[in-house]
Amino acid sequence: MKVIVGISDMKVSNNVKEELITYSLGSCIGVVIWDPAVKVGGLLHYMLPDSRLDKDRAQKKPFMFADTGIPALFKECYSLGAAKGRLIVKVVGGSQILDPTGFFSIGKRNYLILSKLFDKNHIKITAEDIGGSVNRTVSLEIGTGRVHLKVSGRGEFEL
Amino acid sequence: MNRIDEILALIRHVPPFPKVAARVMQVLKDPDVTAHQLAEVIQYDQAITANVLKICNAAYFGIPRKVNSLDEGLVVIGHDILKDIIIASSSARFYQGQVGAGYGLEQGDMWRHSVATGIMAKLLVKHIEGVDSGSAFTAALLHDIGKRFLSSFVADDFEKIVAKVARENCTFVEAEQEILGIDHAALGGMILEKWEFDQQLIDAVREHHNAAALEGAPLTALVALSNNLVISIGIGVGDDGLASELRGDGLKRFGITLEMLQICMADLLTELDRAQELLNI
Repeated sequence: MKVIVGISDMKVSNNVKEELITYSLGSCIGVVIWDPAVKVGGLLHYMLPDSRLDKDRAQKKPFMFADTGIPALFKECYSLGAAKGRLIVKVVGGSQILDPTGFFSIGKRNYLILSKLFDKNHIKITAEDIGGSVNRTVSLEIGTGRVHLKVSGRGEFEL
Repeated sequence: MNRIDEILALIRHVPPFPKVAARVMQVLKDPDVTAHQLAEVIQYDQAITANVLKICNAAYFGIPRKVNSLDEGLVVIGHDILKDIIIASSSARFYQGQVGAGYGLEQGDMWRHSVATGIMAKLLVKHIEGVDSGSAFTAALLHDIGKRFLSSFVADDFEKIVAKVARENCTFVEAEQEILGIDHAALGGMILEKWEFDQQLIDAVREHHNAAALEGAPLTALVALSNNLVISIGIGVGDDGLASELRGDGLKRFGITLEMLQICMADLLTELDRAQELLNI
């Protein structure tokens, strides 16, 4: 059964029949985590890097921002029995439109803040597909941990 | 007939933009026009009448009581909102069905992208001097109309276009232009011309993928900016992905910062939740 994760949204699950999917990641980033021992996983689709932009909104919509969404994703999975040491972590998205002046940099910033957060918390990325000027759709099968990625112009493959 | 002629011949067969829209805009130039006079013009277009009632009763426009008749609806909504409704319901008919399949778009994607761009333009209009909210919404809603008619040609040469974009890291419109002889923005400009829209709207649609659009006319800058932000967020985006170019340094003249854009992106999600009725036109 497909469970759709919208923009600025997150879903976690321990139902082996479920597949979490998020469509059309541009400059947004999709973070997929999965614990093979307990078959618990989650998918976060955040849009913006830093919740200091608007604290009130971050409180109402924590999944909109990297710095509030990422901790929430890990905590929710821990509460379903996932353990940090076992987690497989995959990251996709962070594209940008072409801008030789470098102004439109939200994709890059979205990835930068994730890297910092992961470094600080000693979390290793197992696989990633980041950047470029493409559009990505990503899904996670809770039962198998398989992550499918569809990239505009490159087709569909397993990450 | 070669392909460019074939594409241009298509324009002759593009159905007209609903006449009611132009008449309402004309009538609305008189600030003292009555609801009854407006109703007389609108009532002959059943789709628009139905949509006015439906949207009057939608949460997006925040009208507190139930509206049952066209006359009553026109009394309670302001003229600006009425213009938006008329344009939205006149445009929606062109985006219905399996349009945009050549771009890898699912049914409804093109309309969702257009409405999102229209709302984004309305959110950004306060930062761009010299543009009125109605023109912003209209131009943004119609910016991709060329895709509607170019889609089947893109489908025919899809592999070539995608390969060129991947190989040369160029934009999708550059590949359209080279392989098909025309791109969807230029085609869209021609369609708006045929529909007799104001020159500034024609220009904005034609130039919406121009990398230097932010240095152009305010409406052109606004539509290009709105479109590129909605593409970045990924709303109604197909196989052209983010292969669009816009020189961001052009925003300096408007005093627009990246932070301001991020706030508009966040606001857009809230507005889109409220605009479900607009999406279901």
